[in-house]
Amino acid sequence: MADAFTAKSFLVVDDFADMRSAIKGILISLGVTRIDQANNGKEAIAKLQNKHFDVILCDYNLGPGKDGQQVLEEARHRRLIGVDTIFIMITAENTREMVMGAVEYAPDSYLSKPFTKELLRTRLTKLFERKADLTKVNEALMAKDTAAAIRELDALIAAKPRNLGELLKLKSELCIDSSRLDEAMATLEQVLAIREMPWARLGIGKIQFQRKQYDQALETFRHLTEQEPNFIAAYDWLAKTQVAKRRFAEAEETLRLAVRLSPRGIQRQHTLGELALNNGHTEIAEGAYEQAVTLAKHSVLNHPALFAGLANSKSANGKYDEALKVTAEINKVFPDRPEASFYAASATALVKTRQGDKAGAEAALAEAEQVLAQLNETVHASEHALEMAKTYAGLGRADKATALLRQVIANNHDDDETLNRVVQLCQESGLDYDAETAIQEVQRDVVKTNNEGVRLIKQGEFEAAIQLLTQAANEMPGNKTINLNAAKAILMYMERRGVTEEGLRTVRCYIDRVQSLAPDDWRLADVNARLRKLTTTKG
Amino acid sequence: MDSLDFSDILASSIHDIKNSLSLILTNLEDLINNPDNHIANPRQASLLQHEARRANNNLIQLLTLYKLGQRQLAMRVTANNLADFLEEVVAENLSVCRTLDLELSCRCDPDLEGYFDLELVRGVLDSTIGNARRYARSQIEISADQEDDFLVIRVEDDGVGFPPALLNLLEYGTGRQGDSLNPGRTQLGLYFASRIAQLHRNGARQGRIQLRNGHHLPGGCFELWLP
Repeated sequence: MADAFTAKSFLVVDDFADMRSAIKGILISLGVTRIDQANNGKEAIAKLQNKHFDVILCDYNLGPGKDGQQVLEEARHRRLIGVDTIFIMITAENTREMVMGAVEYAPDSYLSKPFTKELLRTRLTKLFERKADLTKVNEALMAKDTAAAIRELDALIAAKPRNLGELLKLKSELCIDSSRLDEAMATLEQVLAIREMPWARLGIGKIQFQRKQYDQALETFRHLTEQEPNFIAAYDWLAKTQVAKRRFAEAEETLRLAVRLSPRGIQRQHTLGELALNNGHTEIAEGAYEQAVTLAKHSVLNHPALFAGLANSKSANGKYDEALKVTAEINKVFPDRPEASFYAASATALVKTRQGDKAGAEAALAEAEQVLAQLNETVHASEHALEMAKTYAGLGRADKATALLRQVIANNHDDDETLNRVVQLCQESGLDYDAETAIQEVQRDVVKTNNEGVRLIKQGEFEAAIQLLTQAANEMPGNKTINLNAAKAILMYMERRGVTEEGLRTVRCYIDRVQSLAPDDWRLADVNARLRKLTTTKG
Repeated sequence: MDSLDFSDILASSIHDIKNSLSLILTNLEDLINNPDNHIANPRQASLLQHEARRANNNLIQLLTLYKLGQRQLAMRVTANNLADFLEEVVAENLSVCRTLDLELSCRCDPDLEGYFDLELVRGVLDSTIGNARRYARSQIEISADQEDDFLVIRVEDDGVGFPPALLNLLEYGTGRQGDSLNPGRTQLGLYFASRIAQLHRNGARQGRIQLRNGHHLPGGCFELWLP
């Protein structure tokens, strides 16, 4: 047993030196030899960047700067730690609600202080066992091969091990992420047949949501919030579904309740701010953005859009000077992010318009346009286009705003979330643009092109299919579906008629576009696998 | 930002106090386990250890009950293997029991699974074991079983058992236990345990606690029934 501990490397994070040496003492008495220490979040992140650790023991409370949850968040978000690293959060106050703020990033285990050597030994032994079983699953996940990870999980599940519940949970999550919804549903039903579990019920709702069965999803999430009033993720999903049903006022209500229960989620506060602003509840919006900006201060999730939202809501409340102070801060807080000056300028243009400073607003608008042109990107393009459209609308440039919105719709014809934001933006800005009809028109056109392409492929008319789809992809470079289908048409052509350099180059270009827009898009796995197969058989 | 939130003050004070307790406990353990140490009286050190742990359990209860009152307490029910969980509870309490010459043992089917909030139930068991330490002659046993579709976790000792008044108090109202057990009339520990039990629900069924004497061991037997 001592060997298991000797081989592992540990990182102890605590701002209190005596505490660090106490924990180190316990570890040494357990036979651990490789121990690093960090006395704050920044130092911890620096260590994680340079070295791989098997176990991280991190105190939640780290004094000023990042807290333990933010360290975990950043480590996972930036993939500084893999799924094979054990992250243990040490809490003293039993601060569940602090940790509950972030549902996406949960540690592998919690330890409450003070703990004894025996407890740590027992806990670590169990965690090592759990992670050891998952080695192959981890490897597959690291290689972004979800299908292989699920195969490994199935093999483990067949043996009905002690951590069956956990394996089923992981499997259901992976299936949902890779859009294997029937399998996910079967897995969750297997769990629910034994016992009602909130996470499993939430999974059912997510599947219904992905299948666009919004009424059923609404029912699932609503019921869940009634049964488990403290289960925050259920509120987030309920609000998301309400937005999908364009019930913006109800969505705001839901999130207002959720932030009362758990105020520490940055994304939740951000969404609430957006909704409240849209619904004309400018005070609520300002409060939510204020919270989001404060919470994000030391977080990897900090973003200029939060500041822009705060400035926007402050100016909606007539606090122009405060709003301009916020926009002035954007470039200071994000010196390394090229899009920061865009957000600063576009928000300034809005604030100055409301303030009645026409010349100032025009100057800021010109700057925003210039920075946006320089950004010249596809990454997050829709996000920036929406922000710009909001500013145009605020400055009375309805024509420019609608042109941008039309482009956003074309690039996201099947992405309900973005389309809802377009509808929301028109409402919020009082823009005279029939977004619903525009969406229907664009959807009809894109679906027609897409179907025609698929028909041509089926009939073996690859040249015609490729011509049609590549033209569409060039017109809508931000449209993931079109880009993926264009890539697929060329791949299928090459599978039958042989590989060409030109074909490979075009396919890679389309894949790169989608990759930069949505690195986690589950459809990427298929085209990447096909591309790999072609290039390996060729060489 | 500038308004002082009492729960934050409470949480941060408790954080500090627990840091201190943590250091006291770790150093005490070093003292007790160090064969070269001839200064401290091991019996005294054990007593200190025992009391420090009790103070720690009380702090957890205090904060938990405060949050419960403020409707800030969040349940995190997970599927837990009972053998693993009880093994941890025993591990954490073992050294104190040993120095008090008490045997702490555990009886459980290795495949038994249960659904409950791990940390809350751990708090209940730690404080119950802490209590049993004061009454046990030589033995404390914790066990878990599936009975009547409930999960029952028991903490027993071989002392004189609970006084009749306490046993009667819990005879009443399986549904309204919280009211009959107010913290003024009985010990905080039992009140805490009963509140935590009630927080556990499955469909229409709710958790509860029960006290009896002479179950497997001759002394007091605390039972936590979880649906």
